[in-house]
Amino acid sequence: MIPNVAPAPADSTAAAAAALPKSGPKAAFTKVSAHRLFASPGGVAGVLWLAALVVASLTAPLWLPFKTEDQDFTAVLSGPTAAHWLGTDELGRDLLSRIFASAAGTLGTSFITVIVAVGLGTILAMASAALGDRVEAVISRVTEIMMSVPGTVIILAVIGAVGTNIPVIMAILGILISAGIYRVMLGQAKSLQSQLYVDAAKVDGVSTLGISLRHVLPGLTNTIVVQSALIFAVGMLIQAGLAFIGFGPPIPQPSWGGMIQGASQHVYDAPWLMVPTGAVLALTVLAANAIGNALGKAPNAAASHLPSAAARRQRAKAVAAVGAAQVAAGTDAPPAKGQLSVRGLSVGVDGGPRLVTDVSFDVEQGTVLGLVGESGCGKTMTALSLLGLLPSGVVATGGQILWNGKNLAAATDREMEAIRGRDIALISQEPMRALDPMFTVGYQLTSAIRRLRKVGKAEARKEARSLLEKVGIVDAGRILKTYPHQISGGMAQRVAIALALSGRPRLLVADEPTTALDVTVQAEILSLLRSLVKDTGMSVVMVTHDLGVVADICDQVAVMYAGQVVENGKTANILDNPRHPYTLALLAADPHANHAADMPERLATISGQVPQPKDWPTGCRFMARCQFAGSACAAPVPLLPSGSEDGLVRCVKADELAVEGLEWVATEVPTHRLLDLTPTRTNVVEKDMA
Amino acid sequence: MALFITKRLLMALATVLVVAVLAFLLVHAMPGSPGAVSLGAGASQEAIDEVNARLGWNDPLVVQFVRWLGDAVQGNLGTSLIDGRSVSDDLANRLPVTASLAAGATLLSGVLGVALGVTAAVRGGMVDRIVGGICGMAVALPAFWIGIIFVYLLAVQSSVFPATGYVPFEASPQDWALSLALPVITLAVGGAAFIARQTRASMLEALQQEHIRTLRATATPTWKILYVHALRYASLPIVAGIALQFIGLFGGSVIAEQLFAMPGLGQAVQTSVSTHDAPSVQGVVVIATVVVVAVNLVLELATKFLDPKLRAS
Repeated sequence: MIPNVAPAPADSTAAAAAALPKSGPKAAFTKVSAHRLFASPGGVAGVLWLAALVVASLTAPLWLPFKTEDQDFTAVLSGPTAAHWLGTDELGRDLLSRIFASAAGTLGTSFITVIVAVGLGTILAMASAALGDRVEAVISRVTEIMMSVPGTVIILAVIGAVGTNIPVIMAILGILISAGIYRVMLGQAKSLQSQLYVDAAKVDGVSTLGISLRHVLPGLTNTIVVQSALIFAVGMLIQAGLAFIGFGPPIPQPSWGGMIQGASQHVYDAPWLMVPTGAVLALTVLAANAIGNALGKAPNAAASHLPSAAARRQRAKAVAAVGAAQVAAGTDAPPAKGQLSVRGLSVGVDGGPRLVTDVSFDVEQGTVLGLVGESGCGKTMTALSLLGLLPSGVVATGGQILWNGKNLAAATDREMEAIRGRDIALISQEPMRALDPMFTVGYQLTSAIRRLRKVGKAEARKEARSLLEKVGIVDAGRILKTYPHQISGGMAQRVAIALALSGRPRLLVADEPTTALDVTVQAEILSLLRSLVKDTGMSVVMVTHDLGVVADICDQVAVMYAGQVVENGKTANILDNPRHPYTLALLAADPHANHAADMPERLATISGQVPQPKDWPTGCRFMARCQFAGSACAAPVPLLPSGSEDGLVRCVKADELAVEGLEWVATEVPTHRLLDLTPTRTNVVEKDMA
Repeated sequence: MALFITKRLLMALATVLVVAVLAFLLVHAMPGSPGAVSLGAGASQEAIDEVNARLGWNDPLVVQFVRWLGDAVQGNLGTSLIDGRSVSDDLANRLPVTASLAAGATLLSGVLGVALGVTAAVRGGMVDRIVGGICGMAVALPAFWIGIIFVYLLAVQSSVFPATGYVPFEASPQDWALSLALPVITLAVGGAAFIARQTRASMLEALQQEHIRTLRATATPTWKILYVHALRYASLPIVAGIALQFIGLFGGSVIAEQLFAMPGLGQAVQTSVSTHDAPSVQGVVVIATVVVVAVNLVLELATKFLDPKLRAS
């Protein structure tokens, strides 16, 4: 078969990205990196083989033992011998000599296809991205037509017109393939073109061509190289295929496809003849593909939400280790029924850095605990570990999650499956993405109800409707029939809450349930959650970075920083009387936590960033950013009673700060960097905690 | 929806027309006039001119094309310059051969490819690496080479299948199936690898979606998450991949037809190109295009049906 000409047989990730353009712009900004190529054994082998082949082929006249046409009638159709290392064909010609002598031509003409296909495809993609919708529509239509024609048949018709002129044929093949390349490149080129810095360059008067060459082309480099390698392989296969059916270089000139064709005539009496040429061709194609795949591998692909069987086996091992450690340590008195008690929980990347260390907190029945902190502090990881839903490759590495007499940190997948949905439910940040886009709201809700409540279909439908009404949806009947993309974000979050309620859970884990919503909708969702807690008596673990949400709904707060709980206690105590400098800073930086009357001239900021897990110091992890840090902070800091009721704080200076009543102050911004606005109370700098 | 179908139909018609014009021009660029081709070497110039005049070869290109188009719409694609047979009849006999081959190979590679791709994505670890390795090999080996090896192993060594030839379905369904087996398997090796890669990537992408976590959070059994929800999400690119496979095989089957002596469309192009039989080349290009464009149309409707977002709009 001549491989598919119409679509670029791109590597799997590129093909998937082309088919599903929602995979995001992240991949668009990777540049070609040699180290990625040489980090992969396949890539190294591919480069070595191609380099060796090119060198061997170009120097062929110098070292080949025979001329390509030399006939040795004493050794016709021989296997490998001392004289003929790879054997001979039906005319006694040396296979080794013929294979290597024809390599340069094969590689060279395949490269013509690469240049035409990738060059034209890239230019078309950049033109589409740069010149606006109308041009894009025209080009896309044309390429669509090119892709929906039987490429092989057309190539053969071309051969009819131009004869077996290999370079011309390979160039026309390149034109046909360029439509596929265009499709792979277009999304990426458009995403590069729509970057803000491109807009800025336009405003600065850089020409369209200049933008394409300076800002878009560099971003496409890696894709260009990847596609080139893959198309190179396709070109070789097609060329060999054409030679095989008799449209190769004129006889007696050797070509790989022609030699395999010759060998196929002797498959009965000399099957060996098939091996050397086929192996060299296959290895060369493999080499090109290996290079393409090594470069095309998407770095840091998002983690799977359902680990593969192999990953699950690994996780089971980690879970067993946690369980064994627990047995060795012995358990404390079990907490009361309906109470969640997390003790010394650690979460880490399997075999990598820890993301959460020694986290402890309790959630009484019917209360709401807030987990607050900046992004990257381990809030979400802590919350997901309660359900055993950590992303693939992340595991609970120690500690206990005690729930109804069971340690969930050491529970198997099967045990967790019995708890999820029925005991502990989840609502997540982006309601649109949390619902399955392929199924109706009604299907998702009723199948969850049937599963979790063990009821029939009709009853589940009735229950689904009443659940939707319970979460404040008026036209429940209509919403049941819709797909998630047909409803608003606030509506979708209500549906997601209804879904979470379908198993009548005793504990709800809410991972920033209002962050992605409009402000007015946020308030509605919060009041819905508050009334649900009151009506059902369930507990909630609420992950948020919004202190307003905390003040609104939480009974208890655990402030997290860099994978640790740094302060823990009753909401009122923490908000009114914070003990940890980080809590102080968060409150000082929150425009809503400051009353209009005493709103400072400038909101405080927390300089720097949350350190990466690998950079966590042994001492206080907040030390580098803390206004009150001293030498004592370099030693490990325990979580100690803060003095206000049952509060706990992880700061050696907590008492000192409390006594002196210090405040986190806004840092001075150098005057030359200030915008010269009218001296009102505008927030010049606002710390974005998201 | 009606508007969409109409638009797509017009687009399809345009595609066929463009290809017909292109093929017409290509065919005219072929060396040798129809008279010279049909009379063969040694014919007198007068005889050649006479045939050319009779075939209208000297008329303006536009006139010739319109004449060809008029005939083609009525199902007459002209007569072969070599043996004087009707091109339409010849292609009508060949179409079932290529269609059986392409459909069989697509079916086999679809089933195998989806099974392998899903297995690789779901099992992960060693299984994933083994499947990936096999697919890499299968994509790199040329189909004609694989075909010859199959002939050697299955037809020559064990004579399970006939090595070459095609038996029409009407003659004997059993022999038809046997005669298709080797070429179909040959074509399906690379196809299955292609679809397996596509399936694996799409499944992994599906499993990265956040709604998978919601499904787990509501205690959905793993098999249901994998084979109902994730596979459904991945189905769009997989179906697109399978359809591309069919399009590629339609005409791309020329090598298998040559290797296994199957009288299909691919073989027709190959012989008519070699013999400069202009009407036959023209006819086969247009017929292959019509089939491929029709498949594309069906595919587009299928994607429209599979994707709720598209269906609603």
